[in-house]
Amino acid sequence: MSIKRKRSIMDILDNYFDELEEQFERWRETLIERPSWNQKACTMEPLRNVRVTPTEVIVTVDLPLTKENSIQVKPVDKSTIEILASMKRKIRFTDFGITHHKGEFQKLHCHLRVPVPVYMEKMGIRFKKGILEIRLPRKHEYEIPVE
Amino acid sequence: MSEEVKIIEKKEVPSGAIMLFGFPDVGLVGVIAASHLIEELNLAEVAYMDSKLLQPLIVLHEGLPHSSIRIFGNHSILLAVSETPISADIIYQVMDALIDWGKNKKAKMMISLSGIPIEDRQDAKELKVFAAASNPEMLKKVQEKGIEALMEGYMVGPQAIMLLRCAQIDLPAITLLAQCFLNYPDPEAAAEVLKGLATVTGIKVDTAKLLEKGEEIRLKARDVMKRTQQEMSNMKKSQEYDIPVYIS
Repeated sequence: MSIKRKRSIMDILDNYFDELEEQFERWRETLIERPSWNQKACTMEPLRNVRVTPTEVIVTVDLPLTKENSIQVKPVDKSTIEILASMKRKIRFTDFGITHHKGEFQKLHCHLRVPVPVYMEKMGIRFKKGILEIRLPRKHEYEIPVE
Repeated sequence: MSEEVKIIEKKEVPSGAIMLFGFPDVGLVGVIAASHLIEELNLAEVAYMDSKLLQPLIVLHEGLPHSSIRIFGNHSILLAVSETPISADIIYQVMDALIDWGKNKKAKMMISLSGIPIEDRQDAKELKVFAAASNPEMLKKVQEKGIEALMEGYMVGPQAIMLLRCAQIDLPAITLLAQCFLNYPDPEAAAEVLKGLATVTGIKVDTAKLLEKGEEIRLKARDVMKRTQQEMSNMKKSQEYDIPVYIS
């Protein structure tokens, strides 16, 4: 069996360290508890999910109470996406019966990492039933023919 | 009842009631449905769970402490609710205590309300409700009411333990599962499971308000959903997607 390499050893190492960094980030997130809101930035963090299929990565983000025309999806780098959306109305802690925190929220904001290489420029976006769906075609950088 | 887990009664508990369960699980279907039932039927807290096995957590309501696992009720319904996900390592003790208590109160039937995730949930035009039962008679009963049975597969979580324990002690039980989002709170699915409950038991509530407040519920329920995701992962909830190999 022969292996056709399309990338240099440095690319492979880069990729390895990226994966390590991502695993560390996931591990860190499980250890450090933090609120799902940011009082200073007036933002709430939406729930999201990343699914990898053989051909694409499907990212979904739950954006309740969102104005559809305010949704911004920005690729930050080759593996990170930032999502920002304005809410239809301001939400205060008191709306949830909480009086020991002060603050109001106008936006939903998050950033997430895509775990495999993708074509960011080819992303497809739709918003249905309050769920944002981002589809990113996968970039297959290796080709290993089976003999 | 186990010494480790106690159910403390606060009010007189009716005998011969239908006992319902709404615990954090996929789409928070059970919790959202239970919360709506409490509001619509004006159910009062009749008992709560006390155990050192539970997370060191209380729920504050109007400045006063409450257990995270409580039982609400009226003359004919008992409803066990948990406001936080139940950890996989204590789930048997918790469910055994609730079922034993319900049996002592001569509950005539136990029904857990939950969800079953589907992949393209946002494209689903209507959400189906499925059922699993503790014995063939109950299964036939729900099928006759037009609810499709879950015939083969795995079930993971409190509703699975409830069904098995009830089968062992010969207490009629059903699990109702509405198609839902896996990781996002799903008030629409909660409304569907409540319709299923009405079909099976005649316990009817208006779900219009639940759907109207759907987006607010989804926003409010983010934190509980996030913690539930972690517990579902610990519990290997994804095994429900597995295709079983039956050895007969």
